[in-house]
Parts: sequence; C-alpha cells; structure tokens
Amino acid sequence: MTQDAAAPLLELRGVRAAYGSIEVLHGVDLVVPPASVVALLGPNGAGKTTTLSVACGLMSPTAGSVHVAGRDVTGVPPEVLAQKGLTTIPEGRGIFPNLTVRENLQMATLAGVGIKQVEEVAYGRFPRLAERRNQIAGTMSGGEQQMLALARGLAVDPAVLLLDELSMGLAPLVVEELYGIVAQIAKEGTSILVVEQFARTVLGVADIAAIMVHGQVRRVGDPTTVEQELSAAYLGG
Amino acid sequence: MDKFLTFTIAGLSSAAIYAIAASGLVVTYTTSGIFNFAHGAFGMMAAFTYWQVHVAWGVPTIPAVILVVFVIAPIFGAVIERVIMRGIEGASDVVKIVVTVSLMVALLGIAQVIWPQNVSRPVPPFFEGRFVELFGVRVPWARLMALVIALVVAGGLKLLFTRTRLGIAMRAVVDDRSLLQLNGGRPGRTAMLSWGLGAGLAAISGVLYSTEQTLSAITLTLLVVNTYAVAVVGRLRSLPGAFLGAVILGLAQSYVTGYINPGLTIGPIALGNLAAALPAIMLFIVLLVQPEERLRAHGVERPRNPIRVPSQTVAIVGGVALVVVLAALGSLMSASDLVLVTKGAGIALVTLSLVPLTGYAGQISLAQMTFVGIGAVAMAAWGASGSPLAVVLVVAVCAVVGAVVALPALRLSGIYLALATAAFALFCTAMFFNQQTIIRAGSVQVPPLSFGPLSINTDFRQLVLTAIVFALLGNGLVWLRRSAWGRRLTAMKDSPVACATLGLNLTSTKVGVFALSAAIAGAGGAMSGRTFTADSFSLPASLPVTMLAVVGGIGSIAGAFIGGMLLGAIPIASTIFAANAIGIFRFVSLPVTNVLSFTPGLMGISLGREPDGAAPQIAVGYRAVGDSPPALVVSAAGAVALWVATRVGVITKWSFFAALVVFVVAVVPLLPLILTPRLPEDQAEPPRRVACAIWLALATIAAVLIPWATAITSNGVRVLLVLVLAALSARVAIGVLGVTPEQLRRPLPPSPDLIGVDRPLSRADAIEATHMMGLTEDEFEAEVSRAGADVAAAPVGALR
Repeated sequence: MTQDAAAPLLELRGVRAAYGSIEVLHGVDLVVPPASVVALLGPNGAGKTTTLSVACGLMSPTAGSVHVAGRDVTGVPPEVLAQKGLTTIPEGRGIFPNLTVRENLQMATLAGVGIKQVEEVAYGRFPRLAERRNQIAGTMSGGEQQMLALARGLAVDPAVLLLDELSMGLAPLVVEELYGIVAQIAKEGTSILVVEQFARTVLGVADIAAIMVHGQVRRVGDPTTVEQELSAAYLGG
Repeated sequence: MDKFLTFTIAGLSSAAIYAIAASGLVVTYTTSGIFNFAHGAFGMMAAFTYWQVHVAWGVPTIPAVILVVFVIAPIFGAVIERVIMRGIEGASDVVKIVVTVSLMVALLGIAQVIWPQNVSRPVPPFFEGRFVELFGVRVPWARLMALVIALVVAGGLKLLFTRTRLGIAMRAVVDDRSLLQLNGGRPGRTAMLSWGLGAGLAAISGVLYSTEQTLSAITLTLLVVNTYAVAVVGRLRSLPGAFLGAVILGLAQSYVTGYINPGLTIGPIALGNLAAALPAIMLFIVLLVQPEERLRAHGVERPRNPIRVPSQTVAIVGGVALVVVLAALGSLMSASDLVLVTKGAGIALVTLSLVPLTGYAGQISLAQMTFVGIGAVAMAAWGASGSPLAVVLVVAVCAVVGAVVALPALRLSGIYLALATAAFALFCTAMFFNQQTIIRAGSVQVPPLSFGPLSINTDFRQLVLTAIVFALLGNGLVWLRRSAWGRRLTAMKDSPVACATLGLNLTSTKVGVFALSAAIAGAGGAMSGRTFTADSFSLPASLPVTMLAVVGGIGSIAGAFIGGMLLGAIPIASTIFAANAIGIFRFVSLPVTNVLSFTPGLMGISLGREPDGAAPQIAVGYRAVGDSPPALVVSAAGAVALWVATRVGVITKWSFFAALVVFVVAVVPLLPLILTPRLPEDQAEPPRRVACAIWLALATIAAVLIPWATAITSNGVRVLLVLVLAALSARVAIGVLGVTPEQLRRPLPPSPDLIGVDRPLSRADAIEATHMMGLTEDEFEAEVSRAGADVAAAPVGALR
C-alpha cells in the first residue's frame, strides 16, 4: 500500500457486515480525510454503530476492507488498532462503571501513554473529574461519565477518534459543552468520525456529513445541504 | 483458659485456609463474572499433585510447593479459562453454574481414577515437630505459617487490584470486555491470568489443608462449600468481607468441636455432626440478612433455538407411547438389566422435577436428591402399607420444605439459590440422613406402593408405574406451561425487571415453582419402591442429576427423560463394558468403567458449546415423523413386529437390540421422505424411494440375521458394532435417496415480533400498524405527505 499525504486517515471500502445470517451493512463506503470531522447520521437501525464497530476492529466485515492511513487493517484486533492511535468511545458510556475515575484513566494508559500525561490532560480539561478521582465512575452523573469517556479520547492524543452517540441521554447543555470539546480536539489535528442520531448539534462541528440509511451510505456532502435531506431520510424513502 | 486458647488458635488457622480459598473464589468471580463451583476441586487436584510430586516422587518440600502452587496450578487455571470458560461468557446463570459444577464432578472423577481411594496418602505437615509457646499454648509452626500466608495474600491482592494496571484491567474485563479492547488491553490474556491466580490460591489452600487432614478427594472438594459460606459474607465480591467470614466460620467450627459434647442430642438429632453442618447454617443465616438484590435491566437475549411447546395432544400421545415402549422393552429384559432401567426411569422423574424450575423459570437447584431422600424417608416412616394417600402427604411435606429452603435465596440472584441448595444438601446429609435414628444402618427401604389388591412388588410393575407417573406428570407440566402461570414463569426467566414492572410478584412465583419442583422430586422418592443408601441423597449425588437434566435439554419433557436415562445408562454401560479398557498402544490403559465415572462431568462441560441441550436437536430429526401419519404407522408397526418376534423367541435379544437400533437410527427418520407424496420442488432428480426402502429393509434384516450373541464375545464390542452398523446404514440410505431430511423441513412462518428485524418492513406492514393505531389509510397518507416523505416507494426501510 502506498502512503501519500492525501491518503484519508480512515477509509471503509465496500464493507458488508452481518449479525449471524442477517446482513446489516450492504457495502458501505466512507472516507475520513486528515484533520476533518465527519458526521455519520441516520435513523435508528441504519447500521451506524455497526459501521463504527467494523472501523474499530470489534467486528470483522464479511466483505470489503478497512484502511487506516492507507494501510489495510481489515481483521486487525481492536487492541492493536487502539495502540496504533485509533481511539473509540463506544455507544452508551465508554467507561468501566465499577472502577474509580482514576482507575478508568489508568486503563487509558494501555494505549501507550503515561498515567501522568493522561491525568494532566483529563483533570486540566475537566476539573470536575479531579474532584471525583476516587469516586466509582458508575455513580457519577451521565454528563460526568461522558466527560470521563471523552477525557480518554483527549489524553491519548489519537490520530483518529471514533465517537458513538455522544449525546445519548444527556441534557442539551451538556451535549453542547461536549461538542465544544470535540471541536477543540479537531482543531488540534485529530480526524474524527462522529455517529449521531440527532443531528442538529453535530452539524455545527462537522466538515462533512454522511447520511446512512438501510445499511448503506446514501449521501455525502456539505453539512448545510445534507441537513435538508435528513427528515426525508428519517421518515422514509 | 488453655483449652479456649488452643481452640482459638486452631480456629484461626483453619480460618486462614478458608480465607485463602475464599479469596481465590472472589478473585475469579470479580474478574470473570463466573462463580467457580469447581474451586474446591482445583485445590483438591493441587493437593493430590503435591502428594504425587513430594511424597511419591520424593521432590523436596520447597521445590515441590513452588512447582505445584506457582507453576502447575496457574497453568491449569489458565488452560481451563481458555478451553472452557471463555466459551460460556455471556451465557445464562444456569449454564455457567452447570458448566462449573460439571467441571467439579469431572475433576473429582479424574482424581479418583488417577489416585484410587484404596491407598492412604499421608502428606507430612510443614515444619514437623516445631512449636512456639504462645500464652502457654504450644502452637505448631505450620499453623502460624498459614496465618502469615493469609495475611500476605490479603495484602498482595489488595495491592494488585488497586495499585497495578494489570489488577485494574482484571476488574475491568468484567465491566466491559470490548471496552477494554478499545482501550488497548487484551481481555483474553487478562482473563487467563486471573483464572491462573484463582487456581494458584486454590492450590495454596488445598496444599495447606491436605497437611492437616487425610487426603480425600471428596472432603477436599466439598471444602469449597465452607468457602462459599465465607465468600457470601462479602457478597462474593469483597475480600475483607470474605476474611471476616473466614474468621467467624473458623472459630465457630473450632469452638463447636471443642465445647459441644458429641453425644448431645436435640430430639432425635445427635449433634456430633454439627461442625460439618456449620458452613451450611452460616450460609443460610448470611443469606437471610443480605439485603434484597436490586433488579437490573439488561438487554434481552434472543433465544438461539426457541423450544417449541408441544400441544396437549402431542403430549398425551407421547405419554402413551412412552408407557407402551417402556413396558415392551421391560418385558424382554433380563432381571439385572430391568433393575437398572427401572432405576433410570426413577431418576428421569427427578430430572423431570427440574423442568418447571430450571427449564421454565430459569432457576437452579443442586439438592434434588435431597428432596428425593426426604420423600423416601417420609414414605418409609408414614406409608409402610404403600398407601397412595401417604404419597400425597409426603409430596405436600416436600413442597413445604422446598418453599422454606428457597425463600431466603430467592430474593437474590441465581448463584445464591444454587449455593443455598448446595448448603441445604450438606446440612441434610450431616444432620438428617446420617442420623442413626432416621436412617438406620445407612440405608432406607421405601415400601412399594399398592393400589388395593394390586401391589407394585416386581421390578416390571415398578417400571410401568414409573412410566405412567412420568407420563402423567409430563402432561401436567405441558398443561402448566401452556397456562397463564406457565407463561408467567417463562416471562420471569426472560426478564425479571419487565415482570416486576407488570406487577408480578417475583418472590411468590419463584417460591411456588421451587415448591412444585421439590414436590415432584419428593414424589420420585416416595414412589420409587427401592432401597436407597444415605449416600445417594448427598450433594455429590445431586450434582449429576442437575447436570444431566440440563444436558438432556431441560426446556422439554423429552429432554428430562433423556437426561434421566443418560444417568441411568451410565451404570448400565459400566456393566456392559466391565471387561473393556481403552488402551492407547498399551501406554495408558484406562478401564472403561473409570472413564464412565467422569463422563457426566464432561457432558456437562460440553454444554458450553450447546447451551440448549440434546433434546431439541434430536427432536428436529424426528419431528417430521410425527407430522406424517403413514410414517408413524410404519414406525410403530416395525417396532411391534420386532418385539413380537423376540417375545415368541424367533430372534435373539441381541438381534432385537441391533435391529431396533438400526430401525430407530436409520429407518424412522427417513420414513417421512419415503412415504410422503410431497417432496421439494427444486429437486433436480426425483429421489430414489424404492431403492432406499429396499436398502433399509436389507439393513434391518442384516441386523437381525447377524449372529451377535455367538460371533462376538465382548458385550462392549457388540454395542459398538451395532452402533456402527446403524450409522452406516443411515448414511448409505441418504446417499441412495439423494435427499436429506433437512431439505424436507417445512420453514416455519416468521414470528411477528421479528418483522423488521429479519426482513424489511413492507408497505403492508406500515399500513397494518397504522390501522392498529386507529388511523385510516387517508389520514396516514396525509400525515406522510405533510412530513414531506415519500413513503409510497416501498419498502419503508428507514423505519427499521
């Protein structure tokens, strides 16, 4: 594989994936260019989370390939990708609920950064986490848990960050705050793929928007133009 | 005062051993989510290995300890994790419990094969003859060492789990395995490490214990129940809690031994065994004071292979067929075989008792043989005349006892019920079945039933009675499963949270089903009409019953029968194969009877790969027969013809056996294909039915004509050859026919719940849904166009 400057950081080519005999991705093509934020939007059950699972290595595609920085990484286990700079914050809360905040941050060091750096970044950006460092993570509020999850994405300084449904179950104000941080991470040069069902907030941050319907990427384009097509995609067609 | 100190120190040193064992249990539970019932068996294996290395091979103490505790045991634990436990991750509680219990039974069997019980194996204590004076009491160094090791283990584990990244990762695996991967960790390696650590701790406790007691596989394995009681104090997760529990239990046992006169009695119960019953008593008390567990919502698992509930008609036909077939077979058997088959059928009644409890309600009991024992003892006491009325009374008593036992544990999760029933079994053995006043000379004779002039005084009558009772109870259970209460049970198994929100009282439902299960098991004891030894009501006897019931396929009545027969078949196989041994180039020669002693365990472990059990799979092959009347008639006629021919002496019993096996394995499943007019349309060439029918007839006749009884001397080889012949005949027949049974299976109509999951929603589905919401088609179209979407283009995939 050649690796030139213009190669997209993350690329899915013709990815098909199935749960047992039920295929849910019918050939997904998706490109995340360097230093950009791509929003993957779509209704419930369109296959967004499955796409992300394939991208981060948790699921193997039945056909097609996944490329990171021009290299074919199809079938590479997720822990290896994580150590190579592809960080994923999964759906729900990407934290270990029975570990303390500090222990959660310690798990972030598995990707190959020191605990000092992780704590510095996490507590610097979210002082509330510093106050709660010895609290069991599962007992914090939803917003604080999501901050902890996001802190990992910040601290390990990834090349590509995959975010799944950051807004799920959170108050609009908290969502706005979190996306403010996502925008900052993007400014520092990280490429980000954000999956969202509720699109309004994320479209302000994204450079590119892709609409996914029925296991395929239906439309890719500028966020403002794509926004108008969203309701049609959600309600049918 | 001296006496008090002596017993205090003795108590603390056994507390140290319990604490080490319990910390191993807690480590594996918190790091893998699997409660390892085989933990005691791990320690037992380590103790025997230590004896082998140290005493038999003469390796000095320190290298031997290092080899066993730090090398062999951790590798063993890691291999168990990799090979067995990884497969049951995410399985239901019942499967997890049955797999680890099976592992325990298998290890127990293997240990008894490698280290036969007839040799005494003393393990020399550490620092023999060295003592310190403490407050005027001579304390052996070994006891102090146990205390020191316990403290070191406590401190070490605390450091590992809170200070090191490895330890934190071990805890993180249980929380979210894939998230750990996304963080860059390797959950597989972490899990193997934690099982290795758990096994190492089990090994320390096993080796320490073996130096204080005589080396006995069963005693060491059942030591784990003490460990459960200790670990429950810390809710199975807290190490300090487990250490506190260990101190309480160690001291209590020591003081009971020291201060309670073994001759003391309460009513008919002698207190000599109280120390042995203490762990069980403590477990009950701790369960009683535990706060009720919070119900937690979790994702609904999609059943892999939903078990079809048979219609009442099918159940009635099946029941009649069972009685007829068992009676027909029984009339041909030799007296000694008949005894075994009758016992097997009796066990099938006990496995049947697990159908409502485990199959329908998803709860588990490890004490079914204890209820059989209560039924048997009560029947012997109250029903000497064999009156059916006495059975009713006995069954009622068992139901009440079952309800009382289940009550404290049912407020908690499935593991606690398994623990409570295991403790109950041990308690009853110590305080009830081992009492001379209750079971004299270690065995109890259950009086045979009599219905007026008809007394069930022969094995054949007993077999028929058991078959009839099984058929009646089985039909009752099918009826129950189809009733509102039965639906409630299955709903509770699927999602306790959803049931609670619907206003279902979970506790009373669980108590009810547990009482029902205890009642059926008690009936099995009361109506058995045979002699039981006190051993057969013990915990080690109950475990295989539960295991094989689940292996047979506990969701269905047929599965319970298969499970019971598997258990009944093992002694039969032992007698058939008595002279055979499996030799591999004469290097190892293992008598087949020994292999059979741990087969049930291996069957249970295999469940990790096939959690639904055997019955559903077997049922698929034979279901088509039930749907085709001509096939049914031919099957029945063929079997009857064989039976009559044997009965009148035309063919020998071995020929009958061989022909029947060929008939059941090869002929019956293919009959619908041969006889049914409708065949798959997409078949390129028509199936060669006539040729296949001729081949099958030839195979059956060949099975009759081969002089099995005279040509082959060994029973074991005969059975093997018969099975080979049957399998070959079936294979060739399918080849001749050109169609496999699977191709004929009628596809089931898709479940309405899965529309939109298995296939996209069509426009028709959308319209139907709007109708149900009360919208007319015009309103619906108006709504759609207002939303600016073009739904007219079917399918409405976006709603998925």
